[in-house]
Amino acid sequence: MRESLWAEPIVETIHVLTLTLFLGFAVLLDMRLLGVAMKRRRMSEVLGQLNPWLFGGFAVMIVTGVVLFCGDPIAFYSTMVFKIKMILLVLAGLNVLIFNATIGRKVAEWDLNPRTPGGAKLAAVVSLVLWVFIISAGRWIAYALPPP
Amino acid sequence: MSLRSILIPFCQWCNNSFWGHGIRNSTWLFPFVEIFHLLALGVLGGTILILNLRLMGLRFKNEPVSELAKDVRPWMLGSLAVMLVSGFLLFSTEAVKMYGNWAFRGKMLFLLAAVIFTFTVHRKVVMADQSRVAPAVRIIVAIISLLLWTGVGLGGRALGYVTTSVSSVSSLLP
Repeated sequence: MRESLWAEPIVETIHVLTLTLFLGFAVLLDMRLLGVAMKRRRMSEVLGQLNPWLFGGFAVMIVTGVVLFCGDPIAFYSTMVFKIKMILLVLAGLNVLIFNATIGRKVAEWDLNPRTPGGAKLAAVVSLVLWVFIISAGRWIAYALPPP
Repeated sequence: MSLRSILIPFCQWCNNSFWGHGIRNSTWLFPFVEIFHLLALGVLGGTILILNLRLMGLRFKNEPVSELAKDVRPWMLGSLAVMLVSGFLLFSTEAVKMYGNWAFRGKMLFLLAAVIFTFTVHRKVVMADQSRVAPAVRIIVAIISLLLWTGVGLGGRALGYVTTSVSSVSSLLP
């Protein structure tokens, strides 16, 4: 990574532009969970249609993120905002696990109802807030890292 | 009258505007606006992507394209508005320099083409009765849309890496 002039900008560009896939789909999903977008659609349909691409996007984010990190692990690790981002990422992951284990399992009960249960709304709000901070932290890392 | 004779005064006006000054001289305003630009990128890109995946028959196959378009249109237009406003604010902090940046010029050309394409050909194919549009046409329109918007995104990434300015502008820079 460090030895190539082009590797870092290319990987970083993939990391940033995959936000369209990952964040875009996550926001659409959260808006359905809040009952403000795609209201006439079954929750299970929205989940089924968006999830494979959402997870694909997430995988690209993780792989490119790890590659960027490996370019200068000590610089990243010694940056406070990087640690904050990692903690928020873990929380976002926990939010998905909790959703899937609780209200998500009973999706058949509220599948067609545009007025989603409180638990679904809570999961969506937590997800949106966490992603706003994760992306802000991600942008901040570039300002906090020592210049190359 | 050349395009240059309109654009350079416009860029200078942006540079000297109160928002141009304000954002440039603040340590946290630029990143703050940039984050809005980045968040809107996600939402705008997501809505364009899902519509094009539908056009290509890869997602939400059970319903007409126009139904999905109705669902995502407010999000697409809203995020495009945030993109344009936040982008203009960021541009105003170094407008003349951006005018001379070839990546920025490329980005603006792609943006113009992408917006025109989205609101004419793309919109027409999305809203059309499905039986009247050949699948091949839908796929080609989706690919053109994806390429144009990818061009905008790549231009946006590239303009930060471009450090040299178009020679005709360098005399105007501090």
